[in-house]
Amino acid sequence: MMKIIIGLINGMLASATPILLSALGGSLTFYAGIFNIAMEGMMLGGAFFAVLGSYYFHSWVIGILFAILGSILMALIFILFAVVLKMDEFITGIGLNLLALGSTTYMLRQIFNVKGMFASTEIVSIPKVDIPLIRNIPIVGEILSGHNLVVYLTALAVLVVYYLVFKTRFGLRLRAAGYNRTCLDTSGVSANRVRVISLIICGVLCGLAGSFLSLGVVTGFTEGMSAGKGWISLAAVILVSGSPTGIALISLLFGFTDGLGLFMQQSMPPQFTEMVPYVATLIALFVYSIRLKKKSLSTGVL
Amino acid sequence: MKRKILINVVGILLAFLIGALVMVFQGKNPLEAYYQLFAYSLGSPTKIAYTLNKSVPLILTGLSATVAFASGPVNLGQPGQLLMGALFATIGGLYIDLPQGLMIPLLLLLAMLGGALWSGIAALCKHFFNMSEFITTLMLNMIADSFTLWAISYPFFEKNANHPQTPLITKNGWMPEWGSFGSNVVVMLLAFIIIWFIVNRTTSGYEWRISGQNSLFSRLGGVNVKKNYLAVMLLTGALAGLAGGLVIMSGPHRFIKDIGGNYAWDGIMIAMVANSGVFLTLIFGLFFSILQTGALGMELQVEVPRELIKVLQAIIVLIVVAGRGYFEGLFARMEARRKMKGRA
Repeated sequence: MMKIIIGLINGMLASATPILLSALGGSLTFYAGIFNIAMEGMMLGGAFFAVLGSYYFHSWVIGILFAILGSILMALIFILFAVVLKMDEFITGIGLNLLALGSTTYMLRQIFNVKGMFASTEIVSIPKVDIPLIRNIPIVGEILSGHNLVVYLTALAVLVVYYLVFKTRFGLRLRAAGYNRTCLDTSGVSANRVRVISLIICGVLCGLAGSFLSLGVVTGFTEGMSAGKGWISLAAVILVSGSPTGIALISLLFGFTDGLGLFMQQSMPPQFTEMVPYVATLIALFVYSIRLKKKSLSTGVL
Repeated sequence: MKRKILINVVGILLAFLIGALVMVFQGKNPLEAYYQLFAYSLGSPTKIAYTLNKSVPLILTGLSATVAFASGPVNLGQPGQLLMGALFATIGGLYIDLPQGLMIPLLLLLAMLGGALWSGIAALCKHFFNMSEFITTLMLNMIADSFTLWAISYPFFEKNANHPQTPLITKNGWMPEWGSFGSNVVVMLLAFIIIWFIVNRTTSGYEWRISGQNSLFSRLGGVNVKKNYLAVMLLTGALAGLAGGLVIMSGPHRFIKDIGGNYAWDGIMIAMVANSGVFLTLIFGLFFSILQTGALGMELQVEVPRELIKVLQAIIVLIVVAGRGYFEGLFARMEARRKMKGRA
């Protein structure tokens, strides 16, 4: 029994990690007032470049670096179209996601000469970290220690993003950019600059999420391997109105349902357990809307 | 009007130029590649017929997205609706057998029903619980993906097949073909004409468009926004479902894994680049079909991987849409300046 619970918790942490990372990026752009739906594409791009870097340099550090650079490149394209050319953010986002899907498929073919997926023993994956002392404590050690490095970086990222948004000058400007950008502009701070920075940080976080997918969960790249995780993270951002701690909690919840799905695979066809995180997202949206309805009824504001 | 055409053409040419640069970088001859692209998709009547066939799911899902975006609902559920439509048509074709004249309309209706059912779930979620259809349709896409895969792996699985697929549907449910020209194109054109008529020539279509442009204004003007929302969601779901049904009935005549391909997302791109115009959706749908069909020729003759077309499509969307916004702003400024001068 204890083994199952520990397994579930570890599964939860692993499944929550990519969602949480990209949702944190989404949180920053949410505060900056950008309707950013490109996390899916940024994550996918990151996953591809992670494999590219790790394969050619036999180093997961370079893999992560490549992932982040690739993801920033996606963010720059978003910036070019949505911020510089003032194109509709929604269309930019969809276009960018499909560009990511198309170009990773193309590069998979062009660079690695394969279709569908690429795996190789040359790819070095991101190591798991054993924390000394803690790992020797029974149960707690099994839960806290031995995770992929990115899992710990993610926990750190929650704190950093929280601090950045609520305790720094940049965070204040970020929220101002979303709240009233004209006001920010007239006070002498360029709202666009704040928006650009938030998008680039979002790129960094999504790149890290991507590297976790292709160098952590599995080792190798599969076409469209982000599989809607970026969309789920978008739902998470919307559900908690951007709050980093709220995002952490809801990502863990999504991660838990994902782990539960894997666990249920013994008694159910895999196609049904695959649906679990998406159904969970729908249920979360449902609960959110009911709560919103009650709130608006009790305050009398519609 | 002329200006609009110009902007679209310039955008497409720019995208082709970027594609050419990528090819030069790979050491390939872009002119030869583009020549093969068009030769392979338009070079002979057979090839044109094939390109037309291939355009059917693109245009139908494109129309679905176009009607939805123009009327307000952000229905991004075409991929799931297409799959459900395909599944419904397949199941109908497996268990019902009627003469061809009845069977084809029945299966087409079933396909539309499947798509409308799937978009209807999202519509009801919005109607009763105010859940944004933007996220719900996306999640329903994923769910439809898994659900149809389950359906063809277990209950409707063809025995002894080595990958998930259903048995063949009844021959009476196959779309007739005249030589290489498929009758699915006729169904698509009919759907196009009906949609064009509804959107441009009926009161409902007018109300939809106005709601899409300004929901508050239309509500104050007495438009039943909620009823229209439901109607648009069901109609656009039915269109995507129809696309799925036709893919089965004129293609492999059975539901195979990954049969939905990327049709529906391409359709969404087509709607975006067509700026939610019904006629432009048809044109861009044909154009994207030319690109996708010709991509194989490019690969066979010049060894440029056909996946390059996927990149090209996304670039076309980004550049044409961005260019439209940019040039319209530019023209507006130029006009204003001219008027100022005239006054002075």
